[in-house]
Amino acid sequence: MTGLILNSVLLGGYYAILAVGLAFMYSVMKIINLAHGALIIFAAYGLHLLGAMDVPLYLSIALVGALMFGLGMGLHAAILSRASSGGALLPLLATFGLSILIDNLLFQVFGADNRSLAPLVGDLSWASFELPGNVFVGQLSLYILLAAIVIIAALEAVMRFTTLGRRIQATSQDRATASLLGINTARTAAIATGIALTTGVFAAAALGLRSAWAPYSGAAQLLFAFEVVVIGGVGSLWRVLVGAMVLAIAQSIGAAIHPQGFLIGGHLAFLMAVFFRLPTWRAAFAPIARKGVSA
Amino acid sequence: MTQSSLTRRSLLACAGAALGSFTLGRSSAFAQSTATLKIGFISPISGPLAGFGQTDGYVLTQARDALAAGVTINGTGYGVELLDRDTQSDPARAGQLARDLINNDGVDVIVAVSTPETINPVSDACEAAGVPCISTVMPWEAWYFGRGAKPGEASPFKYTYHFGFGVDEFYEAYISQWSLIETNKKVGVMYPNDADGNAIRAVLAPKLIEAGYEVVDPGAYETGTSDFSQQIAQFRAAGVEIFNTFPIPPDFAAFWRQAAQQGLHRQIKIVQLAKTGLFPADIEALGGLGDNMASAAYWHRDFPYVSPTTGLTGAQLCDGYEAATGKQWTQQLGATLSAIDVAMAALAAAGDPKDRDSVAAVLPTLKADSIGGLVDFTSGPVKNVAHGPIIGTQWQVAETGDFDFNYVITENATDTNVPITGELRAYNA
Repeated sequence: MTGLILNSVLLGGYYAILAVGLAFMYSVMKIINLAHGALIIFAAYGLHLLGAMDVPLYLSIALVGALMFGLGMGLHAAILSRASSGGALLPLLATFGLSILIDNLLFQVFGADNRSLAPLVGDLSWASFELPGNVFVGQLSLYILLAAIVIIAALEAVMRFTTLGRRIQATSQDRATASLLGINTARTAAIATGIALTTGVFAAAALGLRSAWAPYSGAAQLLFAFEVVVIGGVGSLWRVLVGAMVLAIAQSIGAAIHPQGFLIGGHLAFLMAVFFRLPTWRAAFAPIARKGVSA
Repeated sequence: MTQSSLTRRSLLACAGAALGSFTLGRSSAFAQSTATLKIGFISPISGPLAGFGQTDGYVLTQARDALAAGVTINGTGYGVELLDRDTQSDPARAGQLARDLINNDGVDVIVAVSTPETINPVSDACEAAGVPCISTVMPWEAWYFGRGAKPGEASPFKYTYHFGFGVDEFYEAYISQWSLIETNKKVGVMYPNDADGNAIRAVLAPKLIEAGYEVVDPGAYETGTSDFSQQIAQFRAAGVEIFNTFPIPPDFAAFWRQAAQQGLHRQIKIVQLAKTGLFPADIEALGGLGDNMASAAYWHRDFPYVSPTTGLTGAQLCDGYEAATGKQWTQQLGATLSAIDVAMAALAAAGDPKDRDSVAAVLPTLKADSIGGLVDFTSGPVKNVAHGPIIGTQWQVAETGDFDFNYVITENATDTNVPITGELRAYNA
């Protein structure tokens, strides 16, 4: 039982890091970025490429992070700002198309081989701490959980306590008024997109270290991230962490009942969250503030 | 719903059109002095199954070069054209490509390679249209029974033929491989809930139990599962020393690292992989945990056979591939070429290679040499299937050379002509 709870919490950390970029993009820009998974895989190839040139992983994360930030700003200017002016459906279609484009581009460039970042960090990918009672805690899983908490805390701090954060909030709440007050809303939204994509680099590192990927692995990551965001709900980014924990616990309980129940457990939690939120969804994506987290 | 009924209708229409064009095509072929034999080739070049297809381009180039001068069959000269198509790992597209090759390109035979997702829809399209189809690289049970044949009844297939491994070959290879190291005979198994996994669970696991192994099976898991704590705890508690699994590579990478976190890797002497661990990249992605993973190969560069189509030995084929691409050889090279070898042998044996029924008529009695050894449809487990080997192997860290791992042959129960090139090492040694 202790093992089950411990594992769920650690797995939740991984899901949180997968989902935080998606949640940030949605809460700030009202865009469901269906290319989120593909962009994570894109970043993972960046990390792998630098790793092959013997660049240390922390430095690779910084470099690819900078690249993804720039890419995010470009992406906003070229695609998202245009698409989001055309209604709620257009950004969905645009990012869906983008994900197909990225998947196939990655396949053309890197081929079909499965890759992993684990060889870059020696034994860390499978090292563990032994707790009393024959319980093992994977070191990597623990670091991923800590990274998720730090990233969410940092983003929350930026949103609350910095000028940039207030500009982003103002832009997301009412773009016309924000620009009346002298905020360059296009630039602010571009920066927010850049931030969202940068968090994807941490997701890429977590994915690459704990598992392996190939060019078409993005869709599976998007699914988990999407479930986390829906279960957690929008608003504070801490909801991402809660959503991730709920998903992980639901999956672990599912797996404890039957090995095939792992994914089904998660999907059930997701469906329950969807039904729980249906009336609020009808209210045109109003922030879900009053009710607690479901499931 | 609309789409599936449309597909069915267009399938029937295609079948009719194929029958119609068959008589026309035949008479026009007689009118020409040198006819061209058209071979359709369908495989997954892109998409999630692309690991299987990535060497096909090279193999096709070799075959085209060898066949450029044409062939002589029954005293008549023919040109040979290979038309390759990419399924993009999509079963619906695979069937569509087959129908397109049949109706628009008028192919004489179709070769389909790798995975049920590729082969089954292509075989179905060929059977419906009456075009001979040769396939390999998937368990034959999933091909034969998976397409509606019933055990104990006559084969319902007239045009489609498959060769290669089945569960029996896995069983023989595993029993032979696992006797090489002293173990407690407790086998932990992780079979996913998919076509391969369920076939293996239903047929292989009972045979292992019969052979004196204790099978610890936590049950089927869904592909894409990201946490395996439950299964790992069960394997640890049961004290398994052999581990056997049929996962996709990313699932296995996640599973095995979690297993190592829990210390499971220290108790396991043989890690017997299938599906994952076919190709060097799968093992390289595991880093330090990849050394001494055992695998099973449907082809290996040390197979002592020559491809009649290209004149290449296994070593020549693989050396050529490594020189041309800079990448390590894979077992798919020989498997793909063997399918082309068999297709060419079928055309050569037919009275009239441009006549689909004439080609289909020789297939049940065909004994074809290939780079994978003799493919004998007269001695198969069922009418439309010929046996192929599964050879026990192990990935061992390479001391020298350009690549990280050597792929060593450790047992040869299903084809004793294949040389054993190394000794099986304990994983936890």
